[in-house]
Amino acid sequence: MRFSSRLFVGLFIGLLLGVLYGWLIRPVEYVDTAPDSLRADYYSEYVLMVSEAYSADVDLELARVRLAALGPRPPVNIVISAIDYGLEHGYSQLDLETLNRLVVDLRAMPPSAEIDTP
Amino acid sequence: MRTRSGLALALGVMIGLAAGLYYSWVVNPVEYIDASPASLRQNFKDDYLALIASAYTHTGDLQRTRARLASLQLDDPASALSRLAQSRLAAGRPEAEALALAQLAAVLGQRPVPGVATEAAQDTPTPAVLTASPTASPTVTRTPTPLPTATPGAPFSLIEQEQLCDTRLDEAQIQVLALDASGEGVAGVELLAIWDTGQDRFFTGLKPELGLGYADFTMRPGVTYTLQLRDGDRPVSDLSAPECVDDSGETYSGSWLLTFQQPSLP
Repeated sequence: MRFSSRLFVGLFIGLLLGVLYGWLIRPVEYVDTAPDSLRADYYSEYVLMVSEAYSADVDLELARVRLAALGPRPPVNIVISAIDYGLEHGYSQLDLETLNRLVVDLRAMPPSAEIDTP
Repeated sequence: MRTRSGLALALGVMIGLAAGLYYSWVVNPVEYIDASPASLRQNFKDDYLALIASAYTHTGDLQRTRARLASLQLDDPASALSRLAQSRLAAGRPEAEALALAQLAAVLGQRPVPGVATEAAQDTPTPAVLTASPTASPTVTRTPTPLPTATPGAPFSLIEQEQLCDTRLDEAQIQVLALDASGEGVAGVELLAIWDTGQDRFFTGLKPELGLGYADFTMRPGVTYTLQLRDGDRPVSDLSAPECVDDSGETYSGSWLLTFQQPSLP
């Protein structure tokens, strides 16, 4: 076999091993993630907790700040997504109502300055 | 010729390996879009913990709260909550947040009482009401469990002031026990320590391992304090570290244990 052919075969094997090692054996570890990377169920649970906390403290600005940690989408859309998830996954009536209350109040809130993500 | 071929193969593998690793670690790494709360950055974990506590003040659902805490994979959730309550209070965060953390820490610090019905047993089924939920099926909802809070409207009175001479205490303290009318410790009672040049707030229940109604404050030598409970009837003044004598005749600073109790409601 010629030199270039051997080099090409070696390259192919090395590339394969490298990708295998980097993706499967020792992938990049994310240990410092942000709430917007949470799995769908945890994500919705987070929104539900924000809604429950809002029901207790009735602090809409604080609820908006907490929702801002979930990404740049409008807070109303984030909560609506959680309601959709809740409907699909059998959330209790009370949970859906708690989420719904926050959506209603967020919609009634006058637009304010952009909130920084913590 | 054979050596040359082997060299080519080895060179190819090395270059390929480097390229493969570069691609899989830098260009196109495995994306974690399904992270769990345990993998959150520490400040987000703290926010998550505060959120769990705030949500608990609304739901009173300890079973669900425990499940949420479990997702953070903390070794000792009660201590973590307690530490966070103190740090957030010190950082000037909203008082309600620190209180929620302290109350949940206190509840988790309680030992389970045999024979007491579990949260699950208190769940009661409710029919579906929301009309906009085509796929919502009747599910269980929660009956909020009351938190161990003070009896509304009943001020705490000082029932005992005891001097503590304990060489095991490293520093002079004002220790407080806040009890309800039945003698049970009450978490979340706000206390104010005032001295000539300043004041500091603290709460009962931040050290659940010492009791729900327990709180302590470190006294500085030579400073006289006045202690006021937010829901107390009158302040306790002239509190300074008492002088104690150990077995070898050496003097050291002692502490005070103040016990407050709510009167029985008629």
